Amino acid sequence: MAVTLPPGLPREALRKDAARNGLTRSRAAGRILRTATAAALAVWFVLPLVPLGLWVFADRWSYPAPLPQHWGLENVDSALSRGAATGFAGSLALGLAVSALATPLGVLAARSLAFHPSRWSALFSALLFAPLALPAFVTVFGLNVLLVRLQVPSSAGVVLVLTAYALPYTTYVMRLAFGAHDLGFEEEACTLGATRGQVFLRVQLPLIAPALARAAFLAFLVGWSDYLVTVLIGGGSLVTVPLLVASAAAGTGNDGIVAVLSLIALAPPLALLLFAGMTGRRRPGARP
Amino acid sequence: MFLPETEVLITRSRPKPRVPGALLAVPAIVIVAFVVVGGSAMVTAQSLGLMPLVGRPELSTAAYTAHGGDLLVGGGLSLAIAGTSTLLACLIGFMAALIMMQGRWCGKLVAAMSSLSIPLPHIVGAAATGLLLADSGLLARVFGTAERWPPLVGGPWWAAVIFEYAWKESAFVGLVLAGTLATRSVDYEETAALLGAGRLGRLRHVLLPLSLPALMTSGTIAFIYSFGSYEVAWLLGRPYPEPLPVMALRLYNSVTLTSRPEAAAVAVVTAAVSLCAVLMALAFLRKIPLWR
Repeated sequence: MAVTLPPGLPREALRKDAARNGLTRSRAAGRILRTATAAALAVWFVLPLVPLGLWVFADRWSYPAPLPQHWGLENVDSALSRGAATGFAGSLALGLAVSALATPLGVLAARSLAFHPSRWSALFSALLFAPLALPAFVTVFGLNVLLVRLQVPSSAGVVLVLTAYALPYTTYVMRLAFGAHDLGFEEEACTLGATRGQVFLRVQLPLIAPALARAAFLAFLVGWSDYLVTVLIGGGSLVTVPLLVASAAAGTGNDGIVAVLSLIALAPPLALLLFAGMTGRRRPGARP
Repeated sequence: MFLPETEVLITRSRPKPRVPGALLAVPAIVIVAFVVVGGSAMVTAQSLGLMPLVGRPELSTAAYTAHGGDLLVGGGLSLAIAGTSTLLACLIGFMAALIMMQGRWCGKLVAAMSSLSIPLPHIVGAAATGLLLADSGLLARVFGTAERWPPLVGGPWWAAVIFEYAWKESAFVGLVLAGTLATRSVDYEETAALLGAGRLGRLRHVLLPLSLPALMTSGTIAFIYSFGSYEVAWLLGRPYPEPLPVMALRLYNSVTLTSRPEAAAVAVVTAAVSLCAVLMALAFLRKIPLWR
């Protein structure tokens, strides 16, 4: 953007003036409006989590009382006795398995789409993003017959279907990363005598590491938060936290247990996010 | 002059790939094709009576006409729920993105709060919505309107279902939009402001057009998700009329012999509507100059 300055007016004066008079900054009324909107939005995003936070510690909270009458940790015990630990382990295993499969496959697919365009590329991208356009229960209705006939174990079937549903995300994230990726670095390393393994470990991996972490996290979330595929294909052999939440929430009087299970469902991804945010900020120079 | 060393360098600088580049995508393609193509082919075959549980396969559309009326009502209901919640999610998400983009503490606050709901499974969101909006929920307790509390959960307007989708998807839309706007809007906005555009002018002529492609894409993803999603409507909805996924799952789990093809027919209809939504969104996106 080129701005023609009037003679005698230094650039700094213009910048300060612009800031004070508000080129894109708001005036007092606008600022109040914006703060109010921000507060309303913060309430909107956090409101549904408030009853969860209260119910976790509510040993007794009978109807008209606006706040729990007895605080305590009885709900945690009840949730544990309903298999919360098993569910947590199942969810974790499912999330990690889907992430471990969908991330490397997404990297390979994205690399193929980014650096090796062919006449198949359009078909490949259409197919890779098709799961986003197809509700999971539709494919699961069809696949259930197929998986039973092929004698695929039900847990493996769940992982397989969820991997297909995670691949659009991992491929998309890695495709964006490879779009900003300079193959010159790899060629340079080869010129300097690096072996394939060295190029992979010292050049490719550090360059794509942040995107790799994002892709792995998204794939983990697909497995972690699934309900329907686990129910329909797993058929109860694989117990995860969403299954426990569903069965507790469908009954009455389980509000405290639902809250504890929900918190269990929220804690690990949130911890991962915080961890990624902290480690990501610690070494800003490492990012491409 | 040609030195032998140079030749060595050239051959070493480009190691021959062990597999052709385009084939790198094959493992991912095989899995997705098995699930998407295999799944849709099998579900279509089931819906057309080609894979009955007992008896001879016979091509028929009986499964589609068996619950014709319910299928139409359910489809309309699903469209209304998904449409309303997507519209709300886009509006709220766009507002959230504008606030996030302005930076400073309120932007950071909104960004942090919205990323809280992203990793939450939908079934947990539905359970939390129940604890908030039911007639014994937190809001009814706080406002103390025991008898006059509207039937938000399981009521005729599907309010709790729409609330849950709008809540989860608005965070998704907001974060996607904020990501898009953060990379390219500042220069354009300052230019427009220097040229004398007011706040509304900048919103209409700069921010809205810039965010339209991302808004369309994230909105379509949100729409298709809420259109084809089961657990929220199952937990917070009412028994009749049923949205398409709830109807499909009830038929799928029912014990009568004819119910599997009928469930498959509902699934095929759901998939067809989703596909139409995607094609419409793509056709619209092609008309936007910013879309590459």
